Amino acid sequence: MINLLSRTIMMGTPLLFGALAEVIAERTGMMVTAIEGIFLMGAWAGFVGGYLSGSLIVGFLSAMLAGLLVAGLYGWICIYLKQHQVVTGVAINLLVAGLCSFLYRVIFGVPITPLTVSPLATIPIPLLSEIPLLGPILFNQTILTYIIYFLAPLSYFMLYKTSMGLTIRSAGENPEAVDVAGINVLTVRFLTVLLAGVMGGVAGAFYSIGFLGMFTTNIIGGRGWIAFAICFLGNWNPKGAVIGTLAFGFAEAIAIYMQSIGNSALFPNELFIALPYIMTIVLTISRKSFNVPAKLGVPYLKEN
Amino acid sequence: MQAKLRDLLITNILAIVLGIVASGLMLLFLGKNPVSAYSVLITSVVRDSYTFADIFVKATPLMFTALAFAFTYKANLYNIGAQGQFYIGAVIAAASSLWLQNILPGGLVLMITLLLTMVGGGLWGAFIGFVKARYNSNEFLVSMMSTYVALAIMNYLLRTFLIETKAEYPQTDALAASVWLPRIIPGTRLHIGFVLAVLACVGVWVLLYKTPLGYRIRAVGYNAGAAEMSGINAKKLYILAFFISGALAGAAGFTEVNGVQHMLVQGFNPDLGAAGIGIAILANGNPIGIIFAAILFGALKVGGTIMGQMSGIPSSIIELMQGFVMVFVILSYFVRTWLENNREKRKLQKAVAK
Repeated sequence: MINLLSRTIMMGTPLLFGALAEVIAERTGMMVTAIEGIFLMGAWAGFVGGYLSGSLIVGFLSAMLAGLLVAGLYGWICIYLKQHQVVTGVAINLLVAGLCSFLYRVIFGVPITPLTVSPLATIPIPLLSEIPLLGPILFNQTILTYIIYFLAPLSYFMLYKTSMGLTIRSAGENPEAVDVAGINVLTVRFLTVLLAGVMGGVAGAFYSIGFLGMFTTNIIGGRGWIAFAICFLGNWNPKGAVIGTLAFGFAEAIAIYMQSIGNSALFPNELFIALPYIMTIVLTISRKSFNVPAKLGVPYLKEN
Repeated sequence: MQAKLRDLLITNILAIVLGIVASGLMLLFLGKNPVSAYSVLITSVVRDSYTFADIFVKATPLMFTALAFAFTYKANLYNIGAQGQFYIGAVIAAASSLWLQNILPGGLVLMITLLLTMVGGGLWGAFIGFVKARYNSNEFLVSMMSTYVALAIMNYLLRTFLIETKAEYPQTDALAASVWLPRIIPGTRLHIGFVLAVLACVGVWVLLYKTPLGYRIRAVGYNAGAAEMSGINAKKLYILAFFISGALAGAAGFTEVNGVQHMLVQGFNPDLGAAGIGIAILANGNPIGIIFAAILFGALKVGGTIMGQMSGIPSSIIELMQGFVMVFVILSYFVRTWLENNREKRKLQKAVAK
C-alpha cells in the first residue's frame, strides 16, 4: 500500500507540472492544446540531451528549451496570428510526433537494443523520510517531486495574492481592462504559454529520463491530455489541480501495479490502462459548476 | 467572392508546397538529397497503376474521418475522437464479418456490416454529444478521452474474443473473400469503398447546405444562442451531429477492414483521426474540398511509404510532411484574412477618394 501511494506521488509529479502550467496559461485565456506535443518534445529532448551529454541536468535543460520552442510556435500562431487554438494544437502535436521519431532516427539510427540512460534516482530526505507511513510516501522521491512541492503552493500564491496573478487572471476574464491598464494582453498570454512550455517540457522529460530511462515515440500516450483534463476538472485552480493529480496519479499507479501482477479474467489490464481516461470522462460529466475563464480560447482583438 | 476563391487556392497550394519543402529540408539531416529523393518518389508513384491506385485507397478512410471532424465543426463542436470511433467501427466490422460470413451471402453481409459499423461508431460518438447536451461536458475533452477507451476496448477484444485461431498475434482471422469489398480496378487495391467515401462527401455537402437539418446545424454553429431563440433545439442537434460524425468515422473502419486489411490488426492506422482534422482544415470544412484534400494526404502517405522503403529514410517522414502541411495551412488562414482585410481597405480608400 505504501508502495502504491508512493507511486501515486511519483506518477502524479509530471501530471502536476503539466496541469499547473495549463492552469496558469488557461487563466489568461490560452488553452495550451499543444500540451501533448510539448510533453513529447520534452521527453525527446530530455533523452537526447541526457544521453549525449551523460548528464540528466543537461537533459532537463534541453527539455525545457524544447518545450519552450514548441510553446513559442503555438503561442505565435494562436496569439499573434489569432488562429484557432484547438486546430493549431492538433497540427502541432502531429508535427511534433513526426519530428521526434524522425530526429531520433537521424541522431541514433536504428539501434539494435533500445538506448537507455539511468533515470533520476530517488533522494530520501534525511529525518523526514524516517517518519512512519508518510516518510516513504512523500519524502523518498526524485528531485522533481520536491520541486513540485514548492511550485504548487507558489503558483497558488502567485495567481491569487500577487498583482501579477491578478493581471494573469484578468487577461482571461476581461482583457480589455488589462489593456486599459496599459499592460499588453498579448505579451501576458505569450509569456504564460512559454512558461507552460518550459514546465511541460520538464514533465515530458520525467517520462523519458526521470522514470523509464529511454525514449519511445508513444511514451507520452495522452498524458499531456490528462494534464489538460486535470486543469479543467480542477476548476482552473492550483488546489483543484493538486487533488485531480492525486486521483490520476493513483489511477496510474494502480494500472502499473495491476499490470505487474498479470491479467485476471474479471479485471483485464486494458481496463486499468483505460482507467484514467474513463475517470476523466466520468469526472467531466459529474462536475456541475465550472468556473471557466470567460475568454478561454478567444483571441484578443484590439479595437482600433 | 472570386478573389476569395483565388486566395484560397493559391495560399493552400503554397502551404502544401512549403510543407513538402520543409520536410525535404529535414532529409538533409540524413545526408539525403531531397531533390533526388522526391523525384524518385514521384516517378515511382506514377510508375505503375497499383501504386497510383493506392493513393485513392489511402484517401478513402481519410475522407471519412475528415468528414467526421468537419461535420461537427459546422455546429461549432469539436469531435477530435474520430480515431476512437474509427476503432469501434473497425472492431464491429471485423466481428460482424467473421460472424456472418458463413451464414449469409457476401453482399448482404457487407450491407449489414456497413450499417452496424455506422450505428456503432455513431452511438460511440452520440455519447459525446449526449453528455455535452445533458451535462454540458466539454466535448473536446470527452471525445479525446473516448479514443483511448476505444483503443483499450479494441486491444482487449483482440486479446480475448476476437483473437485469431492460432492465438499467436493480437489480430483476427482473415475474412473470407466473399466479404471483401469488390475491387474497382483489377490488379490494384482500389475498392468500392472509395466510391462510398466520395458519395459520403457529396451526401454530407447536400445534407449541410441543402436540407433544413443542415441549416439548423449551421445555425447552431454560427450562434447557438440565436438559434435557440428562433426555436432550434440545440441540445438535440448536438447529439444528432455527433451521431452522424461518429457514424462517418465508423464507416472508415468498415472500408479499412473489409476493403484493405481483410482482418483486424492491433493498432493499425493510428493517425487517421489527426490526419482527418488536417484534411478538414485544409479543405476549410467543405465536404467537396475534403475529397481533394484527402487525395493529397493519400498521396503523401503513399509517397512517404515509398520513401520509407528507399535507402534509409524513416517512414516517420509521412507524419512530418502531414504535420508541416497542417501548420502551413493554418498559417495560410492568417495570410488569407490579411489579404482580405487589405482588399477591403483599398475598396474603402477608393470609395472615399471618389
